[in-house]
Amino acid sequence: MSQNIKVTKRPTYTLKHALYLPAIAAGVKVTFKHFFKNISDINAVATLRYPEEQPTDITQRYRGLHRLTHRQDGSVACVACFMCATACPSNCIFIEAEERDDGVDEKRPKSFFLDTLECVFCGYCVEACPCDAIRMDTGIFSLTGNKREDFVMDKEQLLSHKGVFSEELSRARF
Amino acid sequence: MSSSAITVVIISFTLGTLLALLTIPILVWMERRVASLIQDRIGPNRTNIFGFRLGGIVQSFADVVKLLLKEEYYPAHITTGRWLFMFAPIITFVAALLAFMAIPFADTLNINGEMLRVQPLPIDFGVFWYMAIGAVGVLGVIFGGWMSHNKYALLGAARAGSMVISYELPLGLSILSFIITYNTVDFNVMVHFQTGTALGFLPAWGIFIQPLASIILIIALFAETNRNPFTVAEGESEIVAGYMTEHTAMKFAMYFMGEYVAMNTASAVIITMVFGGYQLPYFATEDLLTHFSTFAVIIMIVLPLFIYGFIKWMQKNNRVKETLSSDGGRAFETRFFTIAFIVMGVVLEFILLYLAFISQSDLERSIYIAVVQVAIFVMKLMLFNLFFIIIRWTLPRFRYDQVQTLGWKYLLPLSLVNIFITAIVVVGASL
Repeated sequence: MSQNIKVTKRPTYTLKHALYLPAIAAGVKVTFKHFFKNISDINAVATLRYPEEQPTDITQRYRGLHRLTHRQDGSVACVACFMCATACPSNCIFIEAEERDDGVDEKRPKSFFLDTLECVFCGYCVEACPCDAIRMDTGIFSLTGNKREDFVMDKEQLLSHKGVFSEELSRARF
Repeated sequence: MSSSAITVVIISFTLGTLLALLTIPILVWMERRVASLIQDRIGPNRTNIFGFRLGGIVQSFADVVKLLLKEEYYPAHITTGRWLFMFAPIITFVAALLAFMAIPFADTLNINGEMLRVQPLPIDFGVFWYMAIGAVGVLGVIFGGWMSHNKYALLGAARAGSMVISYELPLGLSILSFIITYNTVDFNVMVHFQTGTALGFLPAWGIFIQPLASIILIIALFAETNRNPFTVAEGESEIVAGYMTEHTAMKFAMYFMGEYVAMNTASAVIITMVFGGYQLPYFATEDLLTHFSTFAVIIMIVLPLFIYGFIKWMQKNNRVKETLSSDGGRAFETRFFTIAFIVMGVVLEFILLYLAFISQSDLERSIYIAVVQVAIFVMKLMLFNLFFIIIRWTLPRFRYDQVQTLGWKYLLPLSLVNIFITAIVVVGASL
């Protein structure tokens, strides 16, 4: 029985531990090393100097601001099927559909509003879209505005965003 | 009183007020920058006035403006004792400020036979003054927490109260052993005592003569200033902001600034009692006066090296990475301060040349030595403040009962034993 019991040797509590001051000295040594290293060369600190220095580590899978893709003729790829609005957990997509009479397709959105203040950037709309019409590959991570209305994206704004990683056009509707 | 006496009093009072009040923004800035450098961050470096950012000090002034312009909010549930609620931060702040005023910044000036103290309050019982006024500061903490009618604030005040009784005794007893050793209650005489050498090679600083009492004094003063590792009165993980939970805007700022003034005062007291005060190690004021020319030549050699090193450091660090297009005016600032420091160095060199080789006036020389001593004092003060800050960003907080255990079970017996030994040695030496 006893061969299965592993006895861990506990560190002995010596006078050095009881004094507590050697431990403080060791801690101060660590912090002072960092302090001295950084004060002698501040530019070696890895912090991103943000507004001047933009992040370079945004990957293809990064969920940035949304965009609506185009067809080859430049018209909107969305067919106003409401899949994204249905999938949206924060109910921030508002679509109004209209009939498409140019013979390319049957339906298109008359208006497409996306409230980015409500959006949680989960990407479910992208997953739900059957036409590859909405994507989050713009790489835009920062959105600013002066009033709440500035954050509600309409169809034209969403169409004007450019994808930075893949082709501009929808891969499901041509 | 002669006109020179009045001048010295006014100058030392101004100096004391400036040293206590103007160091607040510098200490707040130091705390933030040192914290960030320790944690491999950068810290505040953006705020500027016409492109001058002084490494970020301007941020502290912006913070003060923000706190001054904030809405004065009074908690509606405080019905009784509102004046005490308002008055409590002022007690803490003023107590710390007054305690600082008993510190000598330079040796006693001898102007035409008049001995003039360079001390904002020219008193010869500075230690008693410090012990009396310094202990009042915690009353502000207790009143503020008690009058807030808030459970967190009350708990914070109770903790502050329990802490004060556990560290005040070791503090007083360790100061008592210093009084026995130095045989005085005058800070200036204490500094004089520490100018010689101990055991032949060490400077006769308190830390070498009374190591145990020095460590107890430093620990107790860390507790008195409410700094880490003794921030039990405002442990944000358990009791929000502790005693200052209900205090907003300038009332909060008073507590906040009071903490830094208290830290500065504690540093000044520790330096004066333990680290030789305004004196250089090994050299007394009389030595400097008799060998003034040698001393001046040494400073004339060291000063340009120091300025050169600082300018090199500034040119290396007051700029942005090469990859960035704009440096936000840092190049201009660096150029301005490079020229300013060179001009300052040249002016100081000429003053030193004049004092060392042309002027033979003892008065001018002693005034110059007083200025040098103030500079040494400020340097030591800032170094010890840096130590306070580094300790804060190194250690975790003690638990509230651990502070009491430390105070009552370890520091109190140790300081009693130390007094006993000190008394035996002092009496034995006098026989």
